Amino acid sequence: MLKLLIRKQMMEIFRSYFYNAKKNTARSKASTILMFLFFGALMTFLAVGMFGALSFSLSSMIDAGFAWFYFALMGLIALLLGAFGAIFSTYTGLYLAKDNDLLLAMPISIHAIMTSRLLSVYLMGLMYSAVVTIPAVVIYFFHVPFTVSRLICALLWILLVSLIVMVLSCLLGYAVARLSLKIKRKSLVTTVLALVGIGLYYFLYFRAIDLVQDMLVNVAIYGEKIKGAAYGLYLFGQSATGDWLALAIVAAVVLAACIVTWLVLQRSFLKVATATGAVAQVKYTERTARQQSISSALLKKELARFTSSSNYMLNCGLGVLLMLLAGVMLLIKGQALVPVLSMLLADRPGAVAALACAVVCMAVASNDMAAPSVALEGKNLWIAKSLPVTSWQVLRAKLDLQLLLTVVPTLFLCVCLAVTLPLSAVERVFVFLLPLIFMVFSACLGLVMGLQNPNLLWTNEIYPIKQSLGVTVALLGGWAYAAALGGVYVWVGWKLGAVIYLGIFSIATLIIAGLLYLWLKKRGAAAFEAL
Amino acid sequence: MLQIEHLTKKFGEKVAVDDLSLHIAPGEVYGFIGHNGAGKTTTLRSVVGIQQFDAGRIKIDGISLQDDPMACKRRLAYIPDNPDLYDFMTGIKYLNFVADVFGVSAADRQERIHKYGDLFELTDDLAQPISTYSHGMKQKLAVISAWLHQPRLILMDEPFVGLDPKASHILKGMMREFCDGGGAIFFSTHVLEVAEKLCDKVAIIRHGKLIRSGTMEEVKGDDSLEEVFLELEDEESC
Repeated sequence: MLKLLIRKQMMEIFRSYFYNAKKNTARSKASTILMFLFFGALMTFLAVGMFGALSFSLSSMIDAGFAWFYFALMGLIALLLGAFGAIFSTYTGLYLAKDNDLLLAMPISIHAIMTSRLLSVYLMGLMYSAVVTIPAVVIYFFHVPFTVSRLICALLWILLVSLIVMVLSCLLGYAVARLSLKIKRKSLVTTVLALVGIGLYYFLYFRAIDLVQDMLVNVAIYGEKIKGAAYGLYLFGQSATGDWLALAIVAAVVLAACIVTWLVLQRSFLKVATATGAVAQVKYTERTARQQSISSALLKKELARFTSSSNYMLNCGLGVLLMLLAGVMLLIKGQALVPVLSMLLADRPGAVAALACAVVCMAVASNDMAAPSVALEGKNLWIAKSLPVTSWQVLRAKLDLQLLLTVVPTLFLCVCLAVTLPLSAVERVFVFLLPLIFMVFSACLGLVMGLQNPNLLWTNEIYPIKQSLGVTVALLGGWAYAAALGGVYVWVGWKLGAVIYLGIFSIATLIIAGLLYLWLKKRGAAAFEAL
Repeated sequence: MLQIEHLTKKFGEKVAVDDLSLHIAPGEVYGFIGHNGAGKTTTLRSVVGIQQFDAGRIKIDGISLQDDPMACKRRLAYIPDNPDLYDFMTGIKYLNFVADVFGVSAADRQERIHKYGDLFELTDDLAQPISTYSHGMKQKLAVISAWLHQPRLILMDEPFVGLDPKASHILKGMMREFCDGGGAIFFSTHVLEVAEKLCDKVAIIRHGKLIRSGTMEEVKGDDSLEEVFLELEDEESC
């Protein structure tokens, strides 16, 4: 039975890799392999690009004889990223799956249902933690002689970190579930809580940068202090370095935590999964509604969909918060940043403008509500298709939502950058122009990707929001664009000068955005009709 | 009102609807019956424009669905077999959304929401999220949304499933009143007693093929609709 359920769960997660929804046929083996390779390449890019660089910057700790400290830090980052990334998806994945009633009504043990759901949680946690832990281990072996014992320990450490992520996200997911049973405006409260969490995360992150720099200079002092004060953390890091005793102790603790978590979840699963929770009783009072246009009605519907789901808001609308926070940070600390940037980029004239554009584009790319919006229609697709609205009107509303929610914070961040950074008048124009063009490009790209084989048969909204290939490509594709914009300038683009370079990027982005827009209007609309 | 000519829809090798032709005139309540998987839902979805079909022509009020789908959709309303509505909206927001799309004036929608909401005893719950509605409440909301913009043609897939006896009775009355006012209704059902009492005409479909259609008297003669249906099923399977 468990095997069956796990198969079902895996089919759901990886459906788009094996099944072409547009053609209503199974994919060929070659197509499936290509899809997996593509996903693998994206994850490798993320792992190498972000956390490989971080591991590299911390690797002097290994040479200084503090490999445990290096692994402890990388492990903590992996735990933070993994648990934070999976907390809300754990809640919905474990307790809010649409097939809960169906499965619970069948002669299937709760253990089997829970195990199959936990496997999804584990895979999600593994995905998040592995992008940190794998580069950490790879960089480690550039600094120490290779031994099989070290390799086995490091691999087991990767496994243990992923298990800790699962434990943390399960316990946090459980806490969210208990809380949501008591509160009435669930999505709002969940989102506010998450935003507080995100604020804390970034606060710690920025503090951590200073702390890490300080630690790199005084690694021996900090190392000894932490070893004395938090021996568990020392063992956690030491377990990855080939110390079998440390590994055994950490493994025992992790396994115990897994058992405790299992017992907690098992005792409460049925109650939480079948509870309806608190519902605010609002009595309808008749009032005359204002008549609205079709486009306005469709846009309001998209907005209602977006604000009804904390998962949707947190995963696809984080850019709004990022840009507002970044703008405020710039206004507060911008003056201290200017001399540092000027010094670092002294031999790259115009780099400040290019990097400013890249930063805004990266934040803009974090808003990707258009990408899962087609799949999120799910079983409601018949409504949009049976109403007298064109497919393009439906798609346009999805685009408009992303543009409307992104334009204000983008402009705010651009104003902050233009006010704070030493830019010429033309560069200031590009700091506004390029991100705005990119915003349109990003929304179009997301929707184009969302129209490629959308999974309309999801049983949990987290699959289209978080685990679909379209969302991954839209998000990482946007980030890759931003990285290329800044990176290529610092590498060779500066020779052209900021104005010409940003001009070329603006025109190229505008052309691609235009092409994507035209594709959406004709072929995209046809693809939507064919769904 | 509705002309279906030689409609054919295939799913891969399987022919779901096979050269089906039907004409429904204004004022007619037209029942559509058949076994599970006979092609009823596929036909209804094709008429609504949700399902693309392989061959045939569909005209609503003389307008070709292929040539001007928007004009056709403006004239019809559809209630699917499972009322999957926008769970993230409240009942009233959903009704206002539908009214906005169909361009129903503020005064008209208020009057109709009041009328049908009270009729189905749903008014008090209209401010509640649809996610908290029972299946029957969703079905009532789907019915209200269908009547809200005063369509010319209403297509319904198993409309009585989930409704309580009182709501079923009210819906039957609404259907009759709607058709007496010049509208037309094409609906599928497995409840043959309801079809027999309510329908002016009936069509029986089996494995995608229309095997009998006409006025209720033409189709069933002196027998009950149930007897005729079962007889036809037996004949076809032999």
